Amino acid sequence: MRGDRDSNLGPSGHRQTTACTRPALRHQSAPKIHFCLKIKAQEIHVGDVVWLHENDEIPCDLVLIGTSDPQGICYVETAALDGETDLKTRIIPPISANLSVEQLGKVKGVVECPNPDNDIRRFDANMRLFLPIIDNEKCPLTINNTLLQSCYLRYTEWACGVAVYTGNETKSGMSRGAAEPKLTAADAIIDKLTIAIFMFQIVVVLVLGYFGNAWKYTEGLKQWYLMYPVEGEAPWYDFSIIPLRFELLCSIMIPISIKVTLDLAKGVYAKFIDWDEQMFDWETNTPAHSANTAISEDLGQVEYILSDKTGTLTENKMILKRCCISDTSYGNDNGDQLNDVRLVNAISSNDPDVIKFLLVMALCNTVVPIKSNDDTVSYKAQSQDEEALVNAAANLNMMLISKDSSTAEICFNGSKFRYELLDILEFTSDRKRMSVVVKEGQTGKILLLSKGADEALLPRACPGQQIQRYLEAAEMYSQLGLRTLCLGWRDLKESEYKEWSKNFQEASCSLDNREFKIAEVCHSLERDLHILGVTAIEDRLQDGVPETIKLLRNAGINVWMLTGDKQNTAIQIGLLCNLITSGPGFESRSPRIAQAGVRLATDTLPQTPHRAGALCTGGKTEEDILRSLERALLIMKNTSETKDLAFVLDGWALEIILKHSKESFTRLAMLSKTGICCRMTPLQKAQLVAILKSAGYLTLAIGDGGNDVRMIQEANIGVGISGREGLQAARAADYSIGKFKFLKRLILIHGRYSYNRTAFISQYSFYKSLLICFIQIMFAFLSGLSGTSLFNSISLMAYNVFYTSLPVMTIIFDKDISETTVMQYPQILLHSQAGRLLNPATFCGWFGRSLYHALVVFFITISAYSDEKSEMQELSMVALSGCIWLQAFVVTMDTNSFTYPQILLIWGNFVAFYMINLILSAIPSLQLYTIMFRLCSQPSYWISMALTVAVGMGPVVAFRYFKNLYQPSAINILKQIEQSNGSIQTSGNLESARAKLTNLLTGSRKIRDSNYHPLLSDSAESAR
Amino acid sequence: MSLPASESDSLASRRSKKPKYSKFTQQELPACKPLLTPGIVIGAFSLIGVIFVPIGLASLAASQNIVELIDRYDAECVSANDKVGFIQDTKTDKACTRKITVPKPMKGPIHIYYQLENFYQNHRRYVKSRNDKQLLYKDAASTITNCEPEATSEDGGAPIVPCGLIAWSLFNDTYSFSLNKKAVEVNKKNIAWDSDKNKKFGSDVFPSNFQKGGLIGGAKLNEKIPLSEQEDLIVWMRTAALPTFRKLYGRIESDIMASDEITVVIQNNYNTYSFGGTKALVLSTTSWIGGRNNFIGVAYVAIGGICLFLAMGFVILYVIKPRALGDPNYLSWNKENPDHPN
Repeated sequence: MRGDRDSNLGPSGHRQTTACTRPALRHQSAPKIHFCLKIKAQEIHVGDVVWLHENDEIPCDLVLIGTSDPQGICYVETAALDGETDLKTRIIPPISANLSVEQLGKVKGVVECPNPDNDIRRFDANMRLFLPIIDNEKCPLTINNTLLQSCYLRYTEWACGVAVYTGNETKSGMSRGAAEPKLTAADAIIDKLTIAIFMFQIVVVLVLGYFGNAWKYTEGLKQWYLMYPVEGEAPWYDFSIIPLRFELLCSIMIPISIKVTLDLAKGVYAKFIDWDEQMFDWETNTPAHSANTAISEDLGQVEYILSDKTGTLTENKMILKRCCISDTSYGNDNGDQLNDVRLVNAISSNDPDVIKFLLVMALCNTVVPIKSNDDTVSYKAQSQDEEALVNAAANLNMMLISKDSSTAEICFNGSKFRYELLDILEFTSDRKRMSVVVKEGQTGKILLLSKGADEALLPRACPGQQIQRYLEAAEMYSQLGLRTLCLGWRDLKESEYKEWSKNFQEASCSLDNREFKIAEVCHSLERDLHILGVTAIEDRLQDGVPETIKLLRNAGINVWMLTGDKQNTAIQIGLLCNLITSGPGFESRSPRIAQAGVRLATDTLPQTPHRAGALCTGGKTEEDILRSLERALLIMKNTSETKDLAFVLDGWALEIILKHSKESFTRLAMLSKTGICCRMTPLQKAQLVAILKSAGYLTLAIGDGGNDVRMIQEANIGVGISGREGLQAARAADYSIGKFKFLKRLILIHGRYSYNRTAFISQYSFYKSLLICFIQIMFAFLSGLSGTSLFNSISLMAYNVFYTSLPVMTIIFDKDISETTVMQYPQILLHSQAGRLLNPATFCGWFGRSLYHALVVFFITISAYSDEKSEMQELSMVALSGCIWLQAFVVTMDTNSFTYPQILLIWGNFVAFYMINLILSAIPSLQLYTIMFRLCSQPSYWISMALTVAVGMGPVVAFRYFKNLYQPSAINILKQIEQSNGSIQTSGNLESARAKLTNLLTGSRKIRDSNYHPLLSDSAESAR
Repeated sequence: MSLPASESDSLASRRSKKPKYSKFTQQELPACKPLLTPGIVIGAFSLIGVIFVPIGLASLAASQNIVELIDRYDAECVSANDKVGFIQDTKTDKACTRKITVPKPMKGPIHIYYQLENFYQNHRRYVKSRNDKQLLYKDAASTITNCEPEATSEDGGAPIVPCGLIAWSLFNDTYSFSLNKKAVEVNKKNIAWDSDKNKKFGSDVFPSNFQKGGLIGGAKLNEKIPLSEQEDLIVWMRTAALPTFRKLYGRIESDIMASDEITVVIQNNYNTYSFGGTKALVLSTTSWIGGRNNFIGVAYVAIGGICLFLAMGFVILYVIKPRALGDPNYLSWNKENPDHPN
């Protein structure tokens, strides 16, 4: 009895959905429900009751009505939706709190909810359950009562809910946006060129048509053997016949085959990506995959990379790396765990400070320990940092065994200790710290345990304590890119606690301004702390990330980091992964940087941006933000080293900036090579992509979570990392890879080669069509402008389909310079980025070449085959052969590396041309009958062909040679370098080749090949 | 991959999704990368020059050895002012005698061509106006597709064989030769391609209704002779691609001495006057290169010369201004002052 959705649309626009008695079941071991089904997510209908089990992905938006937890709580991981990695708590609405497991399957009721939208923080609905189960009253629902699609159910045995939005109407589905078909920059140019050629064609047709008609009326009517109808008898459309014939003749000017050839080539590029062994991730067993086969060229032209941080640059695994307790800093560079011997010794010798430190780590948190059957304890935490701390404490023998709302049990060195949890002073972003008040079970002492950001906790140290060393430690750790937290504690007197507790209760119950009042009360307690030390947690960078980013930046790509994370963490990660180079201001705070650094209001260390050589844009008020934006823009404009300057921005500032001064922000974005944007919502990420796109840049967005999906879809190229946050991003993306580091190969190798190959294929396609078309046009002048085709239809068809499209396909194996060289000289990407190989100028070159070649073929043909030899079929085949010869040499000329398939296809095609035509010449019914046999037996035919090639290719070779030698492009030089270091391609020893290239790059003269030494020194002088 | 062998083995056994390695899929096929180095380019140009010049000279010599006599007669053979009226008048005698002196000895067979200028056999309207089926098959006499406006006879609508403008406008000047007052036999056999005679024109197809209309185009055909034997027609129907063309009329099998005088009696029937075309009679010997055509010889010598010249120029340039190949200092991003973006 599921309600029909449309008919239930209420007049207010609200939709009613009825919870039905057909529960859809997602797991078989669910509680005793008789009619449980396991169905696919796509079969879930609005109103179904869905059962979920731990670690299930939530299939649609649900209103929670039951969980395994007696308090009606369940945990969800929303990372795929909003990028926040901590766990969120979801609560059963009170109305259904008392339902038994059996009743859940039978419950009937009505949920009133708004029309689907994409707001993942809002759900204003209400629910009624019908008699006889419970009384009939409306119960309000909020986002806290929902389980949203694409989140994961965690640490909850089971949960059950009513489906309210399904399919693409879910919050996640609505915020995904529809993916638009993507067109590459190369495609756009090809389209423009096609239009230009089309215009050219129209002009040619009109001009030829006009002169054709003129010839007809002046000359044609006199040619009695043409027997033109007498004037007056001609049909009214007579004037249009000749132009239309020319239109037919010139229609081959736009190569229809270009789309097919390009699509085929693109398919192969995509396959090469799929097949690439070097982009296979061993850890997760994922090969690279290109879901969109049409946009590989764009990879080679990327100008901006917008990257997610968590899970993309980092591994999304938090580990306690270091700590500083009292005077000692534990942990060293290579230890990836806290297994410093000194620390272990300090613990076994019961150093009181160390033990207190561990106690704070274990207790001062909201972590919930879960005991599994085999007595091992795992932890569920809202914050990954807390989980890392508790885990680290457990590794150091301070194990949190159990915890409920009032007590916690700690096992230290085998003995158990009980603590009474009195109060939790929760973390807020304003206070940037949290504390717990506990009572020691044995001694009855009351302790305040605190942890928080160093700038939030250190000022609250008890007077007289030396905090300088902790400041230094925190500074040092954050320079290493670690997330730091300060730990502290103090004894509370019974009376003091009692008095405070009363105030706290009062504040908690106050109706207005509650948050502020609680903060005030907490503030009064969190003072005179004994600072215990500093912890440093690492969100480990993925393997090879700094090198990859350095390489990409060298390749002229601007890399931005967009993250939902906090600003200082973002800046630290940026520093770590080469996004921001710690410039000269690192130690001395040069005046330039200091002036540039605009203090950020919300949550950063004031000195961080200075250190990083980053411009921070931010402020408390709108004016502050806009002023700092203008200032940042000014500094960017006036610095010559814009390369080293990054701007830092948070989501709130972005919102204001986009509202008030989008233009100056766009200018800032264009000026700065690096941007760090933190606290971004998925929508804002997409907005940033859109801004860069609207400025005409080619953007690549890379991310791993559901919160990156919009950005990935908005960008010219979306790359998904099949990571820990699920496959959402990878599914929405054009390319999916296993690790960030594969991006360099994707762009520099696959992207670059694809661009080069497409540039050749597309222009060559125009070249060969224009070649044959120009010949036809020239022939028109010798055939009375009547629109006679020189070539027969079979030849024309075969020319496009076989003779010219097969050889050009070989270019998909072509590599202008080797992969090693590209990686060594990533700057070469600038060539493809700037579109040097496919633009109107290069196209004009090809246009000119085809005109020249057409002239060569045509005039050699009509001169060598004049007078008694000027038989139509023969002359036509001579001209066609000339084209075939030339195009084989053109492809050979523009091929950089010859592999077997290439040689086979280019010259095999050439042989095939003769085979096919000889076979056709043996069929009596064809016009071609005996023609090719005759030609092949004539010496003058072969002599004409050789002449055509020599005249056609000679100037091209000479021009290339001059350019290559006297005005070489970067690609030419790199090819020459490769050639003079023959070892690169032949020997497998890449390392030595790399070292050699590095030496060459750095310009050290000594190590150069002795053969080239005299030349080099000469040229070096002449170059100056 | 940097994994130790044992580990990769165990991974492989765990149904790895790793792409299969092959040189093709990894784009690692062995490749040779030729470069336009000075050596290669100078060598190639020299080689072309060295090969082309002798071929050119040989072609030129062969072409020069061919004796070719051209006698344009269209103007001289019509004395009347109204040339079109004269040629269209069927009653007048159009015989015209031309005398040609042979400058060099000509070895038989001597080819006789007629040459037309400004005659567009390649005009679209003309070149299409034929039906190959009708020419070959006896049963296809009524297949007259494409033949308009010369498809059917004016009176009864019977199909014309051979139909179409090409056949209708068949050249109809005739020549008779005499050498030193003695008639010379012109061999008109085998002037058409054998392939045409055997496979394109039927031996059992006879002309019918041809040139019976009010408007006579060119030559008439003997209705007793099958099309495959009508060699003049077959030659004519091999349409020329250029508006100036020669077609084989016949051969003189005997040799002709130098300074012999050839007398030709021309029946000047064909109308080239209305469109300003020219007619010429051509006598020519042949060689391996075909007829007399200096183009290939001259072009080869010229191209060969230019190539040799270029090769020398490259050598001199390279000596004067040597450049190192593959010097990273030339890379734009390595240059100290990047005023020359590449």
